[in-house]
Amino acid sequence: MSAILNKLAPESELADDRYGDIRRRAHQRLMQYGFPDLKTEAWKYTSLRVLEKRELSATGPSEAGQPATLPFEADVIPMANGLIDPDRLNLPAGVRLEPMAPADLINLDYGDRAGAMAWLNLARFEQAWRLVIDATLERPLVLAMTSSSDFAASVHPRLQIELAAGVEAVLIEQQADRGAGLINIVEDIALARGSKLRHVIQRRNADSIWVQRTRVTVSADADYRCHALDLGGRLVRQDLSVHLLEAGANGEIDGVAFIDSKQHVDWHTAIDHEVGHTNSRESFRIMADGTGVGVFNGRIHIQRGADDSHSDLNTANLLLSESARINIKPELEIYAEEVTASHGATIGQLEDSALFYLRTRGLPVDQAMALLKYGFAAAPLENAEPEALRDWLTAELETVL
Amino acid sequence: MLKINNLHVAIGDTEIIKGLDLEVGSGELHAIMGPNGSGKSTLGYALAGREGYEITAGSIEFEGQDLTELEPEERAAAGLFLAFQYPVEIPGVNNAYFLRSALNAQRKARGEEEIDSITFLKTVRESLNSLKMDEALLKRAVNEGFSGGEKKRNEIVQMAVLQPKLAVLDETDSGLDIDALKLVAEGINAQRNAQRSFVVITHYQRLLDYLAPDHVHVLSDGRIVESGGQELSERLEAEGYSFLEAESEA
Repeated sequence: MSAILNKLAPESELADDRYGDIRRRAHQRLMQYGFPDLKTEAWKYTSLRVLEKRELSATGPSEAGQPATLPFEADVIPMANGLIDPDRLNLPAGVRLEPMAPADLINLDYGDRAGAMAWLNLARFEQAWRLVIDATLERPLVLAMTSSSDFAASVHPRLQIELAAGVEAVLIEQQADRGAGLINIVEDIALARGSKLRHVIQRRNADSIWVQRTRVTVSADADYRCHALDLGGRLVRQDLSVHLLEAGANGEIDGVAFIDSKQHVDWHTAIDHEVGHTNSRESFRIMADGTGVGVFNGRIHIQRGADDSHSDLNTANLLLSESARINIKPELEIYAEEVTASHGATIGQLEDSALFYLRTRGLPVDQAMALLKYGFAAAPLENAEPEALRDWLTAELETVL
Repeated sequence: MLKINNLHVAIGDTEIIKGLDLEVGSGELHAIMGPNGSGKSTLGYALAGREGYEITAGSIEFEGQDLTELEPEERAAAGLFLAFQYPVEIPGVNNAYFLRSALNAQRKARGEEEIDSITFLKTVRESLNSLKMDEALLKRAVNEGFSGGEKKRNEIVQMAVLQPKLAVLDETDSGLDIDALKLVAEGINAQRNAQRSFVVITHYQRLLDYLAPDHVHVLSDGRIVESGGQELSERLEAEGYSFLEAESEA
């Protein structure tokens, strides 16, 4: 796989800017550890070999498509082809965006080859932004990540999002990639004491290879809730880890992925109870149709001494065709004593009896199937608030059923 | 309304219905009784068009139309309704949304206008109230978390909203307590008129006391072996099905 590395990160192309030392160190690690393959546990069901064949151009086109208009008022930060133009922003009060300082990027560790894409990001990022939310937001803040249909470059966006103590916000990542490039995002989100974040990831990609690593840290009495609606893409790999750092921290993930023919979507989530008196809940559902492939790996880690922690993980999955595939693995690692942790995992098909029941009431097959799929997939979206957000997400889901 | 002639139905290689004849006229209520395994539910499923219930011989004519040529949803639009013995749970699908979609799909298939939401809700509320069901059920998922009795009553609510020409009720009375049974019977009686017909499949005399069927048939081993009036069901209640064997031996 070293051919891929030389293609994605030729040493001669490392920018020699103020982050130069950081880039060279990251590049060194990348070369040292190499690229993950199917023998790498965390990449067992998702191969990046497709990158070998992909012709990636050096630079992207200048204009990206507009994101779809949202059915509610929001403040939008456009990220076109992986880049934010700071001169074209109109940020609401209490929000600021600034380049990250090199000091924020030293001593990062992404481990061995399983973290290769994060090392690659650190070696090659075009921009590294620090987004600070200092005041409670009245309207959702939208990161509109779009790319144009002729986009075929590789980009490595980097974001650090910080919520100040006590602040409440809704952050929507609206991802609509229409190109065929590589988008390799590393994102860190920090919730200070008592803050609340509703983090929406709504994705609907075309042919790109989309790799996103999101790491969330939750301080005392802070509340992180993720609502994900992943409508797939040629290849999507999402890592989402939530670290509950202090007592009273709460972390919840509600996710739905609908994967159609020629799409591959892999979600690796991890919730880490680092101390006691922390709570988490996760519900994730995948539907795969045609030749679609879905992967869900959900890990709950309750560390030694993290007593009085509570955790619930549930995944339900639906295969809609003979050739669709879904791989699921719930993982519970519990090293503390006084905890409650539950998990459940199911995988199945649409029930003939339910389909027949709906048809006897007059619903044609297509409509009956769409209703059953909706009934299966909409459940995790029920927790999204406010109502306008929930309605938008369920309407987006309905467009693919 | 319904003419079944020499019907044979097989599930896989096993023949369940073995030459059944039945004619139901407009406005009539027919009761079908019979021991377990006699083919009662198979008849219901065959009428509604369930996959795997193969009609190997005979015919089913519904209002002059060959019913066997139609898909289940086409049968529904033509005016056939089956109340399930075991109503199916549909998680995540709101009861009101489901029922309105079903009604509008039928209306569309018949070339009629969609129903407006006010008229729809009025109809549903009326039938819920008459069956003493909580209106909150409308917002819950179809049959999910319903008690056995609520599921059965929900079938009658659906029937009242969908207004079929012929309703086949498959053991709608089983699992109901006496009060619920009376409500269900009243719900059925409220829907009776000169144009609407019923085929009521049941084990018990009690429901028939309320419904006063026009005809009672006994189904045994896939055939109707005895037909009569309400006195037949009373005799079955008193003597059980054993008298059938005695008669066939005699």
